[in-house]
Amino acid sequence: MTTHPSRLMIRVAAILTLGLGAGTVLGAVSPLELVAPVADYKLYVAENSRKLVTDVRNFTAAVKAGDIEKAKQLFAPTRMSYERIEPLAELFSDLDSAIDSRADDHEKAEQDPAFGGFHRIEYALWVEKSTKNVGPVADKLLANVVELQKRLTALTFPPEKVVGGAAVLMEEVAATKISGEEDRYSHTDLWDFQANFEGAYKIVELLRPLVAKQDQAFADKTDANFKVVFDTLQKYRTPEGGFQTYEKLTDRDRKLLAGRVNTLAEDLSRLRGMLGLN
Amino acid sequence: MPRWDWNEIHWGEMTMSDPNDDRQRNETRHTASGAPASLDRRQLLGTLGGVAFVGLSKPAAAEPGAPAQVTDAPLSALTQERIPFHGLHQAGVTTPRPAAGMIASFFVLAETREDLERLFRTLTARIAFLTQGGPQIDPDPKLPPAGSGILGPVVPPDALTVTVSVGASLFDQRYGLAPFKPKRLQQMPRHPNDALDAALCHGDLSIQFCANTPDANIHALRDIIKNTPDLLVLHWKQEGSVPPIPASNDGPPESARNFLGFRDGSANPDSANTALMDRIVWVQTASDEPAWAAGGTYQAVRIIRNFVERWDRTPLQEQEAIFGRVKSTGAPLDGGRSEHDVPDYAKDPQGARTPLDAHIRLANPRTPQSEANLILRRPFNYSNGVTKSGQLEMGLLFICYQADLERGFIAVQKRLDGEPLEEYIKPIGGGFFYTLPGVRDEQDWLGRTLLQARA
Repeated sequence: MTTHPSRLMIRVAAILTLGLGAGTVLGAVSPLELVAPVADYKLYVAENSRKLVTDVRNFTAAVKAGDIEKAKQLFAPTRMSYERIEPLAELFSDLDSAIDSRADDHEKAEQDPAFGGFHRIEYALWVEKSTKNVGPVADKLLANVVELQKRLTALTFPPEKVVGGAAVLMEEVAATKISGEEDRYSHTDLWDFQANFEGAYKIVELLRPLVAKQDQAFADKTDANFKVVFDTLQKYRTPEGGFQTYEKLTDRDRKLLAGRVNTLAEDLSRLRGMLGLN
Repeated sequence: MPRWDWNEIHWGEMTMSDPNDDRQRNETRHTASGAPASLDRRQLLGTLGGVAFVGLSKPAAAEPGAPAQVTDAPLSALTQERIPFHGLHQAGVTTPRPAAGMIASFFVLAETREDLERLFRTLTARIAFLTQGGPQIDPDPKLPPAGSGILGPVVPPDALTVTVSVGASLFDQRYGLAPFKPKRLQQMPRHPNDALDAALCHGDLSIQFCANTPDANIHALRDIIKNTPDLLVLHWKQEGSVPPIPASNDGPPESARNFLGFRDGSANPDSANTALMDRIVWVQTASDEPAWAAGGTYQAVRIIRNFVERWDRTPLQEQEAIFGRVKSTGAPLDGGRSEHDVPDYAKDPQGARTPLDAHIRLANPRTPQSEANLILRRPFNYSNGVTKSGQLEMGLLFICYQADLERGFIAVQKRLDGEPLEEYIKPIGGGFFYTLPGVRDEQDWLGRTLLQARA
């Protein structure tokens, strides 16, 4: 069981460590005003990393028990906690590549011994239809998410990484996910999309009072674009609360999502500057 | 929204001469060799475009006379070449073709007529800026820059033209434009030799970029993508180039060669002849097309892969028989010394000199009837990489314009179906589009006549 520091303590810590040397400030946002949203975001990350550890524990247990059906069911929901906090998780590149790299990040693709993490297990479950080769991969995945949680707890959140994280998530979806290449064996990409958008929206939500003060039209437009994105994904919900497979996404909806994601990426790329961050 | 209202752009500071005065500009232009140019625009762009930056050497930056350094930028005398944006027709159709071209095809995401109008107005503003050039200003370093900056802080026009055309799919139920679809606009059909890749075909909107350098085209494409994220999604794009030839003052201009080594463009109708272009290329007010379409033209695009390894292993006389021209000079097979000589098929009814199925004979049989099938070709060569079989993926980015798509490209292609050249070529992509009428003045915008059309 992990405990997390109280919100107040985090805020105090954040005030002490923000550095606040943000240089010239674009508008009226004072660096101190970022303390509360950054602290709240740290709580959000703590919640998600805690849930990630719990979910990965269950997921890897199923893998190791050879329960392919159960492992397949747990794969997509387990990933969501990771996908929500990806901008921060990615700060630890050794862990990110061990947890979430894809076959084409490796020279010998699926056959590469260095290919591990979620997608190696996904390959075992959906393509190899066997878990006999991935017991050690499962152990390592669990160890890595435990380590990730430890490092995230110890991390002083750089405000520019938090604020910039919303745009980072959009860039990721726009560049390498909208095509359906992330979960290429399971086609559970829509779960990842949902989690990425939730993670980005959380940041925007926490910053909204500051953003609205700077540019109300920007805040409204961003909200409207997020609404289209969530509404579009909602059409692909299953009665059980999950998502249909990526292939069900119509061409028109894929393009619509791409357009909104590009627009959000374009708009959110201004967020850091708008809040006076480097 | 566009950062630059084009009314606010100060052309004057950047302009070497009045951009609307071709005559004056040509008098002040200098050729690659440094001699004042008395060449007309057509010669200048057609024969010198792209040559200048190859032929010039440059002293090092700091010290005049210092030896040139490996990373000194190649020089071009043509970066301030400026093609007027306003006119009855869009530029980039009868404009002499510069060295670099690109077609980009997009899906239109606009959800309403209002959004569609915003798209066309945004395109108009961006194209007005990009083709005329000017400074891009970044007031706040904490924000992303206004543009990519790949051409520097002051965008040079570099003879850029940006030509916007619309596909048949834009006239579906989305915008209520169905009643106004140009009569001959249709989705490009498959011909027998085609192996069309859906990822390289069709689109709601095509944009043709042409400039002296590929960088100017890429800069313009990136600018448009950045300014239309909620309105356009890129579908496919193909870049191409035209090989420059040595500048020469004697004799008529020559056509550039394609990747099969033959001249491509011989016997193209004279694009400087306005009356001829009005007949062959531009849709006229008195036609059976919708009134809004006057001043536009049909654009046919084909990405045609060439099997160049196999071609290079084909005997020369066979290559020449397939095309119907002498490879070295471009002269027709029945005599003459250059590509400008006209074959006389009437004297060769059995195809003894020029085979009946030679490419140029099928494409243009030069009969009174085939006069109606003339098209204005404006192709570029493309080179993309390597196929899975280890062969070169290269060929022709074929682009042509005509006032009547059916009597133009479609009729010509039907005559070509089954030609011997097919063994060496494979069309893999492209599409049919309608090039919108020109933007007449500062109040006008691309697509205005279409969106204001009333049944």
